[in-house]
Amino acid sequence: MSPSIDIVTTALRRSQLYRRHIEMGAVFESLGDGTAGDSALVSYYGANNHQQELTQAQHLGLADLSTLPRMGFKGLGTPDWAAGQGIELPAQPNQATLQSDGTLVARLSQSELLLASNLNGLSESIASTTQSTPPERVYSLPRSDSHSWLVLCGSRAAETLAKVCGVDLRPHKFANGEVAQTSIAKINGVLVRNDLGETLSYCIFSDSSSVEFLWDSLHDAMAEFKGAAIGIQALRDC
Amino acid sequence: MSDQNRLAPPFGSLIDRQQPISFRFEKQNYQGFAGDNIASALAANQQWLLSRSFKYHRPRGLLTMAGQDANTMIQLSSDPNALADRIAISDGLEVMAQNYSGSLNRDRGALLGLFSKFLPVGFYYKAFFKPRGMWEKWAPLIRKKAGLGVINQDYQVEYYDKQYQFYDVAVIGAGPAGLCAALEAAKTGAEVLLVDENASLGGSLNYSRLDAEGNTARVLRQALVAEVEANDNITAMTSATCNGWFADNWLPIICGKRLYKVRAKKTILCVGSLEQQAVFHNNDLPGVIMSSAAQRLMHLYGVRPGKTAVVVTGNNEGYATALDLLDAGVQVNAIIDLRQQPEYDAIAEYAVSKGLEVKTGYAVYAANKDSGGLHLGSVEVREIMSQGICAAEGNTILCDTLCMSVGYTPTYQLICQGGGRLSYDDTSAMFTLTNCPEDCQIAGSVNSHWLLDDVMADARRAAMIATNELDLSSATVPAAIALSQQQSPNFGWPIFAHPKGKEFVDFDEDLQIADIINATRDGYEHVQLVKRYSTCGMGPSQGRHSALATARLVAAATDKTVAQTGVTTARPPFSAEHLGHSAGRSFYPAQRSNMHYRHLEAGAQMLQAGAWYRPAYYGSSDQRQDWINNEVNNVRNNVGLVDVSTLGGIEVRGPDAPEFLNRFYTFGFLKQPVGKARYALLTNEAGVIIDDGVACRFTEQHYYVTATTGGVGNVYQSMLKWNAQWCLDVDIANVTSAYSAVNIAGPNARRVLAKVCSDIDLDSQAFPYMGVREGNVAGIPARVIRVGFVGELGYEVHIPQHCGEALWDALIETGAEFSIKPFGIEAQRILRLEKGHIIIGQDTDAMSNPNEVNMGWAIAKKKPFFVGGRSIQELNKTPLKRCQVGFVVNDLKAPIPLESHLVLDGDRMTGRVTSCNYSPTLNKPVGLAFVEPDQAEAGSHFTIKSSGGVMVEAMVVKLPFYDPQTQRQEL
Repeated sequence: MSPSIDIVTTALRRSQLYRRHIEMGAVFESLGDGTAGDSALVSYYGANNHQQELTQAQHLGLADLSTLPRMGFKGLGTPDWAAGQGIELPAQPNQATLQSDGTLVARLSQSELLLASNLNGLSESIASTTQSTPPERVYSLPRSDSHSWLVLCGSRAAETLAKVCGVDLRPHKFANGEVAQTSIAKINGVLVRNDLGETLSYCIFSDSSSVEFLWDSLHDAMAEFKGAAIGIQALRDC
Repeated sequence: MSDQNRLAPPFGSLIDRQQPISFRFEKQNYQGFAGDNIASALAANQQWLLSRSFKYHRPRGLLTMAGQDANTMIQLSSDPNALADRIAISDGLEVMAQNYSGSLNRDRGALLGLFSKFLPVGFYYKAFFKPRGMWEKWAPLIRKKAGLGVINQDYQVEYYDKQYQFYDVAVIGAGPAGLCAALEAAKTGAEVLLVDENASLGGSLNYSRLDAEGNTARVLRQALVAEVEANDNITAMTSATCNGWFADNWLPIICGKRLYKVRAKKTILCVGSLEQQAVFHNNDLPGVIMSSAAQRLMHLYGVRPGKTAVVVTGNNEGYATALDLLDAGVQVNAIIDLRQQPEYDAIAEYAVSKGLEVKTGYAVYAANKDSGGLHLGSVEVREIMSQGICAAEGNTILCDTLCMSVGYTPTYQLICQGGGRLSYDDTSAMFTLTNCPEDCQIAGSVNSHWLLDDVMADARRAAMIATNELDLSSATVPAAIALSQQQSPNFGWPIFAHPKGKEFVDFDEDLQIADIINATRDGYEHVQLVKRYSTCGMGPSQGRHSALATARLVAAATDKTVAQTGVTTARPPFSAEHLGHSAGRSFYPAQRSNMHYRHLEAGAQMLQAGAWYRPAYYGSSDQRQDWINNEVNNVRNNVGLVDVSTLGGIEVRGPDAPEFLNRFYTFGFLKQPVGKARYALLTNEAGVIIDDGVACRFTEQHYYVTATTGGVGNVYQSMLKWNAQWCLDVDIANVTSAYSAVNIAGPNARRVLAKVCSDIDLDSQAFPYMGVREGNVAGIPARVIRVGFVGELGYEVHIPQHCGEALWDALIETGAEFSIKPFGIEAQRILRLEKGHIIIGQDTDAMSNPNEVNMGWAIAKKKPFFVGGRSIQELNKTPLKRCQVGFVVNDLKAPIPLESHLVLDGDRMTGRVTSCNYSPTLNKPVGLAFVEPDQAEAGSHFTIKSSGGVMVEAMVVKLPFYDPQTQRQEL
């Protein structure tokens, strides 16, 4: 990984938000290996040091992970096939589990899964399922592109979400690993509570073409709690 | 002005005397303390006159000190009609009175009061129609007088927002009942929200006198509030108004500039009661106030209501007020008790023991102005002879304050919004509430309990019921408290007509006793009709102080009981709210393609299609048509690039995918070869065209179907709906946002594409028109479709969304040697029009079937079923009533017709234009129009009524206008 702004215009995969990141002084890192493809990802924002961003993440931070790998599968054969691929499935729909390599697997229905890589862009589950040919009645879904991936984390995250989402997401009501498929700032989205260590954290997967609107809406909601954008490094440090 | 009218502590519990605050009223400087509202601070400075009434411009002062009346409506620089007894003072605050001509003290508009006989009830309705023509004369005057306050045209938008909250139990109202209910519920572990519209918790405990010495309320309040504040399960919100009750306990709670959208599993409404005024001559004079208002002034703000007072009462609470007044150093000249034989409680007996003059069976018959004419100077009291009738003569008692304590109505608004029923009990002369909505209870005085112990017990009982139902407790719920044991604070008929009128029932609209009675005499006997005819209850306070008196008057005038008469419907909001609370931070999602900023950088003028931003054309708006023409010409002669990421994309996969498409679209898809695209026309059950696209077959069981930008949502839903019936073994996924896409079109398209695509054989034979391929374009995995929407050699390249900009950059860079230029959707519209291709939704409408728009070729004739097929079969049996034709306008000086301009046959309308634009290729306007079949023959002419009524001659031509042999797109 070699942080550089230049990679933004050379990387094939650019988040819809990368101009906003540049405006905020983002320092990018390339994830040109693993399963991330040629992607640009915000490592941290230039004015901050790592400790500041870590503190921000624990208080209230918003990160854009849209260029990290993720994948979806659905169809009646999906649960059995995924289990055969070594994926540990959540027992019920609207639950998520972390695999041993850090891959997040959310079960959106009895026969639909969403896989998101770990914070280094690596995922054995995504790699293996992508490379294999799914059997009949297992259908892949291009979640890396259909959906953006934002992470809202920190102790004030639930209060922030209460300004844009009508689901009770408070930590004592919405447990780690729970999934809500709901409307966030009027955009359909999949919201997964996925704590980072002790830090309350929500993954938000939503329509990629609307992510700028959602990013702005979340920043607006965060403002009263002094939330700020953070890079992926802070999430890794949590 | 200096502070001259303050009482020493413990009076003034809300104010901080160490924090003086300066503000201005009517351009005069005033000083108050932190914790004061505008009305209390002005009262502390002996400024009692706050506003002028709506119709007669009568002087008005504070009435309730609770933000429940229109008397205190004042003008702030930011807001008209702000409530002076709600708005806290702040340094530099500029406050003006409202609704006067000249000055507040000398209002020329007050002359209107002299003409009140000529402004009878229903004046507006009568003036509308007779005498004939009179309305035109009245209207300008009425319009000038209408409305209260002035909107600040320079208002700077302020930030309002919303937040969801969730609780087990929401308790609305934090008086003794609300505090007890919240504590009882919180005991069980329930998450409790406690809401009160006032600045401090405690409700009437803040100002009421509950014992002779006046200690009980204060001690009890301190204990309960301390307990609430120490309880982590209770969230208390003050200065917060629950402005409605909606199904499933959805409670909009306004606090500051935020609307809280609260969902509570259970709601307990402890919203208390509203004190009512007595109705007598000049009962609106400043100085005539509710008893509770006087108590609030003293206890909350440390303001003495006056120097000499009279109390008119129909209950024992008036005696408590008299004691408070005495404690505040006010000379109480008399207690006028409407009751013939009052039953005193300990407080009343204590007051009597103080030697106060008490006149039982007497009424205040009239209030008289002081020498200044703007304030109360004395009252005339007379003996009550029968209901509403006083003796012919009485006594005058000097006073500058009259406190009214004649009864209450329950604060019924929220309950009635939820379907609660208001009844009237003749014995207690009170409204009572029943039929509360599910999961909602009432407790305390709103539930007709008046004794403190009963109020608190009733609240605890309600909380027990709520938490038991939530399975948070299993308490034994005590029996409901009987109402009959209690003494009603309501006097049955505190209404006394006067020969000179001006006994106001509704202060908001200046409605007097005669107005209400005359409304019934005009035939409007139902209380709902009385309301609309008289406007009673339609003012800012929404009948809070007029509903009970009106019901009594209407009942008496129509020989019905008050229970039969009832009150008008209560609807949200409970109190006035800023539009910002509803409109603030609404969400209007916008969609942008991954190439969006490249368009902006290239100078695109963007337009919104639904939520999507799309480039209309590239260049400055002052040369719009030139830019568009250039873009068209570049596509026709060279190569252009257009962002089509907004096109819908749906994956249809599975063993039954061909069968599914065969049923869903009009064409045949069972025999569609792999590697080919096929036009997909969609009709609904009525045979009406609703969308189109292409279905690309990538494998035997995999189709990628495109749909229109605006239609893909409906198409996807429709697919799911139909397959829910058909149960075919197929998976349907809307992947619109997963793909960025461009159309590279023009005679040089292949050359450009070949430079960045090495693993697809682009040769025309290998990759013919309507072929589909998968490969890599500029190193990006791509689906490539040979299409011809714009009538040239063209390829749609669909790639993963996040690579959109990289693809755009690569094609622009590679195409530079061919002078590739981006083109926008305006050029695309012209290009497709020249080719005679329709746009669904523009060239079709809600009645268009395929034959009308020359799409019969897209209907498979032999397949047994498709959605809309049966209807189209039936339509085919009847002659066409209209058909779509192409036309040209040969007169280049004629205005270019626009969409929806009428097609005429003489004076008869025979159709309309659906598309028309100047064609740079044909150098003349071309268009599509619906016409009658006998106008459709090529070479025939018809007339279009164009802009400004100009008649334009059009000639029907055979479609397409451009490249009739379709050689260009098949290069």
